[in-house]
Amino acid sequence: MSITPAGLSSAVVTVNGAMGEMEQALNAADARLGDGDTGTMLARLFAGLAKTDLSQTADVGAAFSALARAAAVSTGSSLGTLVATALMTLGRETKGRVAVDADEFATLLAAALDAMMSRGKASLGDKTVLDSIDAIVRRVSEEPTLPAAADAAMSALETFRSRPNRVGRARMFGDATIGVDDPGMLAVAKIAEALAKDQTADD
Amino acid sequence: MKKLMNRPQDFVDEMLDGLVEANPSLTRDGESGRVIRRTTPAAPKVGVVSGGGSGHLPLFTGYVGQGLLDTCSIGNVFEGPTVGSCIEAMKLADQGRGVLRLYGNYGGDRMNFDMAGEMLEDDGIRSTTVLGTDDIASAGPEERQKRRGVAGIIYAYKAAGAAAEAGADLDAVTAIAQRTVDLTRTIGVAMSPCQVPGADRPSFVLGEDEIEMGMGIHGEPGIWRDKLRPADEIADEMVERLLADRPEGSGTRASVLVNSLGATSLEELFILYRRVSKKLGEAGITIVQPLVGHFATSMEMAGVSVSLCFADPEIEALLASPSSCPFWKVQP
Repeated sequence: MSITPAGLSSAVVTVNGAMGEMEQALNAADARLGDGDTGTMLARLFAGLAKTDLSQTADVGAAFSALARAAAVSTGSSLGTLVATALMTLGRETKGRVAVDADEFATLLAAALDAMMSRGKASLGDKTVLDSIDAIVRRVSEEPTLPAAADAAMSALETFRSRPNRVGRARMFGDATIGVDDPGMLAVAKIAEALAKDQTADD
Repeated sequence: MKKLMNRPQDFVDEMLDGLVEANPSLTRDGESGRVIRRTTPAAPKVGVVSGGGSGHLPLFTGYVGQGLLDTCSIGNVFEGPTVGSCIEAMKLADQGRGVLRLYGNYGGDRMNFDMAGEMLEDDGIRSTTVLGTDDIASAGPEERQKRRGVAGIIYAYKAAGAAAEAGADLDAVTAIAQRTVDLTRTIGVAMSPCQVPGADRPSFVLGEDEIEMGMGIHGEPGIWRDKLRPADEIADEMVERLLADRPEGSGTRASVLVNSLGATSLEELFILYRRVSKKLGEAGITIVQPLVGHFATSMEMAGVSVSLCFADPEIEALLASPSSCPFWKVQP
């Protein structure tokens, strides 16, 4: 399996299609810690990504950059900006390539993770999307497949459920965040699951 | 909580429509209409840009005007502006002499403006950043750079805006903004919560007879929470805390800002101001340019913030120089 502009296009369409189901669950998770709009915000973001026309480009980097721009104009939320940051980094790292092999997933995601950490100033262990991406990076460096990524994101969500949020608005709720899923981590788990399912269906 | 609105999702855009219609000096711009700019751009100078979430009027958009901000990008209620609107605000403010980005120290705002700045570097637009970090309740003096920005940022708007209007270059305007932030301290108290349009509950819970010292403008935790006390006791503690955190090298002159967080009346503000001014006098501080009113709010939150800007002679002159925006005028 490899990443191509066409594959990227179909992946964002898949996630956008799965958003209908995810939106309320993510809003509900966020309502316990914030203002309850994570699902609505991500739905708006993925609608923007799905509308991006990648058919005219053969360059994976250009495709990622186009998606980064679409993400950047869709929302001002921290999570949305982290998604845009990750896409921008992936665009820079894959510039000029027509396809990227699965065995490069871990390296690319690690670069995206670094950029997200430096942009958001959160650390690993704070119970954020960073912890999910970190878990995925470690897992796909051994097994570069979407089901493995989905599995790692789900394990991270379960591991962190019993810990407190240490950064951002959720930090205000202190110990009340113990036992509660971080909405960003839940989103990564659900998105990875949707992508893995879609791939299995294709096979 | 009752609100005069139509659909919650139209709250921000309809507010901006009304704002610009009532104030012809302001224009909505940008692809999504989420940039407010001066209708008549300034003569060539350094651009001063701000931005942030909606729900804090007159912050941030209300300070676009002559001698103040050139543009402002605005997000949904309590949500940062999009990177796209930050880019548009910076482009609209740029006249080839660079742009100062001057906004509060909040994660989302910082990420979006940083990203916009990086994207515009490729277009050759030079920009600098100064963050408002005036809230002494949000971190100790040793971590002053981590403090959040609240009402005191308007002093930096005024000083940087005046310096830019007078023809200072980007480095000088940036330095003035930073020094003004460094010389400004704020503390707030909250007495009742606010509610985001469309939300089914308030942003935080505070008992009917309770007050919280140092609470943030989105309900971030403060220093203590207790039964409501007489205004003089509250004023005394606020002044004490501000003076205990007095900036190094500050003089004996300061501008005082007594600001309503939304629901608190002008009457109550003046009751507080009366005591604040007495206490400052006792501490040997001469008040210049007192400001009392709604300058930075948090929707309908009841509460007050007190800011002190220990202006040096240069900053005091900039604060006094003429300027005009819909919510704050300094006459020549």
